[in-house]
Amino acid sequence: MALGRRKSRVRAAPPPRLHITAMMDMFTIIMIFLLVSFSDRPQTVELDRDLELPKSAARMDYADSINLVMTRDALKLEGEVVARWDGDRPVGLDPERLQESELYRRLKAYREQADRGGAQGEETKPFVLFFCDRRLRFDAVNQVIKTAGMAGYPNLQFAVLQE
Amino acid sequence: MPRLRARRAGADDDVDIDMVPIMNMFLVLIPFLLMSANFLHLKGINTSVPVQAESAAAAPAEVPARVTVVVQLEPGGIRLSALSDAVPGPDLEDLAARLPAAGDDGYPWDALRARLQAIKARYPRSDTMILIPHGGARYGTVVRAMDTARRVDEAPLFPNVVLSGKVG
Repeated sequence: MALGRRKSRVRAAPPPRLHITAMMDMFTIIMIFLLVSFSDRPQTVELDRDLELPKSAARMDYADSINLVMTRDALKLEGEVVARWDGDRPVGLDPERLQESELYRRLKAYREQADRGGAQGEETKPFVLFFCDRRLRFDAVNQVIKTAGMAGYPNLQFAVLQE
Repeated sequence: MPRLRARRAGADDDVDIDMVPIMNMFLVLIPFLLMSANFLHLKGINTSVPVQAESAAAAPAEVPARVTVVVQLEPGGIRLSALSDAVPGPDLEDLAARLPAAGDDGYPWDALRARLQAIKARYPRSDTMILIPHGGARYGTVVRAMDTARRVDEAPLFPNVVLSGKVG
């Protein structure tokens, strides 16, 4: 008898209702946030975790080009390591023989490929997009940009974070 | 009285708006916006390294003179000078200055900006700056120098920055 009574009480309870208002509020906030950070050019570059880019007031969008990433321990061209740093000493980028470096060879190959493609009307990557850690010394950075200039890429674009 | 009773009865009615289509729309929009969201605002600064150029053609005499500003970041401050084929030597010497160390990172950016503005006002066609940092300068400092030189407020100052290593 007692059990039967309890059962009838459960049946009498109103059906649970989902609180849509709270969920709508949350979705609206997320929507506004995502709309503000919407970009028609989604990020395609992968940044190293230990890379600290400098901040700048620059407003020009970066262009898709040859990615050169310089962190405190390695130099990567299009994702592949071409030189390393042992403290302040470069390994694979001798300042006295920049034209014998892997970086120079690869950039030179890109340049020649771009020249051939440009002659045939193909779209080419016109410059080097340079991601460099803000804590690095200029003499190390200078070796890299000098090599790029010698390989046929005197025009560079420095990637920075918007202030 | 009947009208009031009817109004009270109406107020007690729970009017449900059908939220399902709106929720569906949100569920489609949010993944789309998440995929195209840009959380890291990357920008670019154009620069170049010095290249050997063909001999430049002489500029016509009636064109107003322009100067190329040379900014050297030294450990103790900034050395400023100017180069030009069209401006007499004494005038160029007037533009030279040595700005002693100041500020949080050891460089007097405000003084440099003021000097560059004065040069720009005197030679408005000038648009090129050669930046020569010393070897120990940090890359972040170099970018800050480029920022200082490229524009003030919204007006372009010396937007073409050529980056060069110290010679000698």
